[in-house]
Amino acid sequence: MTTPTRPSLDDPNLTIPVDRAGIFEPIPPARTERQQEFYALRDGEMLLNLGPQHPATHGVLRIVLKLNGEQVVDLDPVIGYLHRGVEKLCENADYHQAICYTDPLEYIASLFCEWSPVIAFEKLLDVQVPRRAEYIRVLAGELNRIASHALYIGFFALDLGGITPILWSFLERDEIVEMLTALTGAQLLFNYFRIGGVNGDLNHDFMSRLGDWMSRAGRQVEAGTALLNENEILVRRARGIGILDHETAFRMAVSGPNLRASGVPLDLRRAHPYSVYPELDFDIPTRSEGDCLARYLLRVDEIKQSLRIIDQCLHQMPDGPVMARLPRLVRPRPGRAYAAIEGPRGLYATYAISDGTDQPFRMRIHDPSFVHLQLLGLLMPGNLVADTMAINASLDPVMGGVDR
Amino acid sequence: MDRALKARLERRFGDRLAGPVRQRHDETEIRIGAGDVPEVLRALHDEPELGFTLLCDLCGVDTGTVMQAVYHLWSETTPDWLRVIADGLPREKPRVPSVTFLWKGAEWLEREAYDMFGIVFEGNRDLRRILMPDDYVGHPLRKDFHLPDDASRSPGGGVRPMESPGRPADAAETTVRRRATAG
Amino acid sequence: MSAVAAYWHRLTIPARILLVGVPVVLVVGAAVTVGLALLAEPLVDFLGANMGLVRFVVAALLIIVVATVPTAFVVIYLELKVIARMNLRVGPDRVGPYGSLMSVVHGLKVLSKEDFTPSGVDVPVFTLAPVAVFLTTVMTLLVVPFAPGLYGQDFNIGLLYLFAVGGLNVVGLMMAGWASYNKYALLGTLRAAAQSISYEIPLTLSVVGVIILAGTMSLNSIVTQQAGSFLDWNAWRQPLGLLIFFIAAIAEANRTPLDMTEADQELVAGFATEYSGMRFGFFFFAEYVNVFVVSALIVVLFFGGWNAPFDWPWPVTLSLDPGALGIGLVFLIGLAPVVGTIVLGLPFWLLSSRISALQALVIGFLLFNLVAVAAVLAWAFISFDWAVGLAWMIGKTFVFVFVFVWMRGTLPRVRVDQLMGFAWKWLLPAALLNIFATAAAVVVIGK
Repeated sequence: MTTPTRPSLDDPNLTIPVDRAGIFEPIPPARTERQQEFYALRDGEMLLNLGPQHPATHGVLRIVLKLNGEQVVDLDPVIGYLHRGVEKLCENADYHQAICYTDPLEYIASLFCEWSPVIAFEKLLDVQVPRRAEYIRVLAGELNRIASHALYIGFFALDLGGITPILWSFLERDEIVEMLTALTGAQLLFNYFRIGGVNGDLNHDFMSRLGDWMSRAGRQVEAGTALLNENEILVRRARGIGILDHETAFRMAVSGPNLRASGVPLDLRRAHPYSVYPELDFDIPTRSEGDCLARYLLRVDEIKQSLRIIDQCLHQMPDGPVMARLPRLVRPRPGRAYAAIEGPRGLYATYAISDGTDQPFRMRIHDPSFVHLQLLGLLMPGNLVADTMAINASLDPVMGGVDR
Repeated sequence: MDRALKARLERRFGDRLAGPVRQRHDETEIRIGAGDVPEVLRALHDEPELGFTLLCDLCGVDTGTVMQAVYHLWSETTPDWLRVIADGLPREKPRVPSVTFLWKGAEWLEREAYDMFGIVFEGNRDLRRILMPDDYVGHPLRKDFHLPDDASRSPGGGVRPMESPGRPADAAETTVRRRATAG
Repeated sequence: MSAVAAYWHRLTIPARILLVGVPVVLVVGAAVTVGLALLAEPLVDFLGANMGLVRFVVAALLIIVVATVPTAFVVIYLELKVIARMNLRVGPDRVGPYGSLMSVVHGLKVLSKEDFTPSGVDVPVFTLAPVAVFLTTVMTLLVVPFAPGLYGQDFNIGLLYLFAVGGLNVVGLMMAGWASYNKYALLGTLRAAAQSISYEIPLTLSVVGVIILAGTMSLNSIVTQQAGSFLDWNAWRQPLGLLIFFIAAIAEANRTPLDMTEADQELVAGFATEYSGMRFGFFFFAEYVNVFVVSALIVVLFFGGWNAPFDWPWPVTLSLDPGALGIGLVFLIGLAPVVGTIVLGLPFWLLSSRISALQALVIGFLLFNLVAVAAVLAWAFISFDWAVGLAWMIGKTFVFVFVFVWMRGTLPRVRVDQLMGFAWKWLLPAALLNIFATAAAVVVIGK
């Protein structure tokens, strides 16, 4: 397969339209085998750019689609539009500051982005976190998980054309965010977890809002799902689309709800427990179909499980300090630590290397959305352009985490 | 801290390990050479008593003297994370065999390690930059990569080395160049 | 003149408007009067000779200005507000009472945007595409009967004309997408063409049953044949036809759930990606008018058109002849507002000490307006049966417009191959079944 060349304007057998206005980007030179394979266009195929500016790509994601009419033949996702160099920035900041850098990665569920490095640093420092702090972390984390899943449901419907559930999801999320604002002081990037605990105990405002909300928890999400779950149009568009099976999921290093929707009951909160999850009682919803509908329904089920966890946290909350005593500038002894948590999108991990100074030597962040975007190239070919949106939405990518 | 795992690993890979099996908290760490990566990882993946089927992370590390490719794996057979460090990659031309034959999902992770460190994964069909633009020069996460600093504060007119611990202030200044449109 | 220039900055805006406007009005009025005085006779002769042309021009202007523009504005406002309420939002509520002037603002906005033509487009086709779409939509209004005697033309092939012209809509869409030099537009256009063609056939076939029952394709006759009570409406006689027509109409109007052509989330804006400003405005103006026309069609064909659901014997007959008052009419028109304002405002001023005289006058004026409008409407209802018919027609049409808007707010979008599969595999056979059943019933029952 050779790299295609630009057509000559005098060629009498010219069958492809000529770029009269000179506005289309030239096909880039193919540097790798895969690129060569991708950019060789057969008869009837065209390249369409689902560009970084698009109403429905969940952030700045560029997908170059190779289409045969309406059918996707191949695709090449291009990322990096939101790359902020967080790992490099963390190397030049000290341990407490590094946690602030990790918030905006998966901004929809930013507490999880803080949780993972915090656990890794606590391992480096051999810090014991007070139990109350752990319970508060679980509580706030599960609230954030519900908010993230509620938004997922809304965006899933929006990408398929239903414009109402997203606004109902935002109502649900608004309540949770206001609760977390009362607790943490921030609305999106909470900056709440600290090495050794959390920043501030539960306060009256938070507890009263939480108590209030628990009586009507998930009602907007239920309204949204009632509108969608039995809707023939949505079901027809999501069932059987983008089927991911067991073996492929492991081969693609998939984790989280995408993996559980393919029949693998792997949840890090049970498989490799951290924090106080061993003391909490909850189920792991699993579905075996592996299509978009299964991924969507699974996250709806997970919201219910999260509500159970929140309930138990409130009942089992122990007293005590919420923060271990640590110096302002921490200097862990040289070593390496890896901490992985179950984020709303999957396995969110941090690998931290310390060299004895007050700045991390290397802070590697493993984001699940980054890995899951590779599934696009696997699941989309063969489907129509309309299904690309369904599959993209069902995988729940957050570009902040993908690009870091 | 799974002692049984340590024993199993030493028994299975004894001669290939480039250092002792270290364990701390809930992580077990082994070091191997770059060339052993395919066999060791295939053994870890395929053998039922090891069964490390889930790839949890693949990254590069620049220790300042050598490069490393670090793999994190999870198995149902042990409560520990397993960290496999492919150590001793030369900093000028780091090369490691790719693990995309085991996990196709490692393709992008390897692309990212290549982009950030310049580690070439042999066997990866699509080894090009992923986060940085295609025609970028330099590998950002390397320790000898210097960020351009505020032009107003710099006598050099835009770039000076970042002051980092252990790095002398009179280190050679390098600039980050962007090649003009690639042909 | 220099005095004016010196004090211009001290004038308020209404004063400035008056200062400029009054002389302009006077001058233009004088010119028109003089012109008319000079040219009256030849002008009247010319118009009298070409009465048909005059009526056509007047009717066309009336339709466009009176029928399409306000209708589209109302439909747009309805869509914004109703969908907002379904989304548990408020919708526009700042511009005008309850945000009702939002459509006007939208119209002004698209008019004031830059009108550019992207490079690489096929300029004549690109420019004419919005015209083609808008034209075909407005032309369909010609045959829709809004009230007894209130229709453009009563062709005896009215329905055929309607579908023929309505089908030309897709030509405009294809022109837009092809000329845009944009792959998104191309995809949108091809989907539009495929969808329109697929649903054209069930649309046309589903009303064949109605045509068989009515014996004519003239819409006016179809409506008059449904006179009586609501049990005479075609909805009872052609339920399957109604269902098929309704679904096919959604597709022809490019509304969710069958709006693949302008799927926001996939194709940015489909065929209209490269359009901006008033050109874009034309497309969506045409779409909203199309929604109205299609709703009007459903009402005309299946729900009795301008017929009331039951006979409402007016106990009151009124014969008012305003002309008999002669010059007194002028006095009436001049004095009635003043007297009415004072009379209606007086109680408020007398009974409440907080309301000043000015406020009472304003309240009185508003109330007088309400009373006058109510009185005129009542008189129109009683005297002209076209007023009653028009009211019923508009009411029923807007029920269906509301249903369209409701569906947009609720349902996701059907995928393009499922959409076409549904048309060809389900609607078409159902429409054919409907025709056979109707024909058989007519033969057997001999209606």
